[in-house]
Amino acid sequence: MADQSGSVYGLTILSPIKQNPSAEVSHSCAIRKVLAGMPRDERSPFAKVSSTHMARLVVMDDVVFVGMPSCEEHLQSQYLIFETNFDGDLDTYLERMVDEIRDEVNAVWQHCWGFPGTDEVSKFKAYMKNCQVTTTFFFADVNDKTVQDTLLALQSQAAVSEFIERNQDKPPAEVQKQFAEFMQKLGNAPPPVPGRPGMGGPARMETKMVWASTMDGRR
Amino acid sequence: MTNINHKTYAMNAITPMKWWKTWIVRLFFLYLGEVTSAQSDLKQLSFIHFARWVIVKRNQFPHITPEQPKESMRYDYLLFFSNFNGTWNEYIDAFSAVLSDGLNIIWRWSEKFPGSVPVTPFKQYIARCQFDTDYYYTAYPYATTNDVKAAHRVKAALNQLEKETAGKSPEEFAQAYLKFLVAVQCDIGETGRAPVGS
Repeated sequence: MADQSGSVYGLTILSPIKQNPSAEVSHSCAIRKVLAGMPRDERSPFAKVSSTHMARLVVMDDVVFVGMPSCEEHLQSQYLIFETNFDGDLDTYLERMVDEIRDEVNAVWQHCWGFPGTDEVSKFKAYMKNCQVTTTFFFADVNDKTVQDTLLALQSQAAVSEFIERNQDKPPAEVQKQFAEFMQKLGNAPPPVPGRPGMGGPARMETKMVWASTMDGRR
Repeated sequence: MTNINHKTYAMNAITPMKWWKTWIVRLFFLYLGEVTSAQSDLKQLSFIHFARWVIVKRNQFPHITPEQPKESMRYDYLLFFSNFNGTWNEYIDAFSAVLSDGLNIIWRWSEKFPGSVPVTPFKQYIARCQFDTDYYYTAYPYATTNDVKAAHRVKAALNQLEKETAGKSPEEFAQAYLKFLVAVQCDIGETGRAPVGS
């Protein structure tokens, strides 16, 4: 299945955008305004739909004319492109969009032809599937790990670096004791937050190291 | 315009193809999908989290309601979306240097494609066909593809160390710990903000 690579699904949606020549603000511009105000870090709507690895929303104004001797042609509508890479199946993902980011979905897609709203999940799913274009080839470099797997791995990686630094030149019995405590601490650490950049990042263990991110007071 | 979210760049490009050439590209992608060893160059570049090519036939642009004007296109279109690390120039340079044959097979059927080598006209073509992203989210903004792979290797080695050393003496633990350090020494760098320019 071309939309799937391992456990990752690559969804591509083209939603035609409404036109209203008499409107003060065009629908495409209204979409761009909504998108410009949407946070892109851990407060992003897609952080709430936590199976999302990466997602983008793009207003495609027109196709491209590459020059003579090819023909110049134009689209009749602008299209909202929704490109997302997520874990699991399409139906569950669309249901989660309705459950968890209903307001944002309505704010963006209300400007598209035929958008039925999110009151009836089945209608929303049918609409999105009507707008879906099948991916011809989908490449995912890491395609057997969920978002949570990756965030936990990054959390462990950061913690291990600190552990190694703190336990250099200690006797084996001491390192072994520290390792047992470390694994317990790591297991009890709060789950990492999708979309969070440096601020706090993956939960860190105690350390004597001076992190680059703390040196300029940005942590 | 929001093509960049920390360490990842969202690229979009669209190129026109004569409708009767589309099946050739489809066949190549079918081969690429079935023969995973053919993706090895793409994997070895190791700076693309996710990428996709989507062929939209000239009569396949979604038509949802009768009020929506119908499209009447001559060309099929090849859409390309990539999530990569680094700068646009680095990406195109690497594509041109490492994947030139593969890229030529994919894009030579698009109108006016100049070939991926030399790189200057290739960059001009991509720049012409590219359009900007309006909203871009990534769940791990500080991590590159290599960071993600390294973190999974560290996690696997850590789990293995814990399993192997349960109930062992301090000396046996020390041996296993040393083996672990050697195994992960190249994978324990910290992720952080992207360097200026990417």
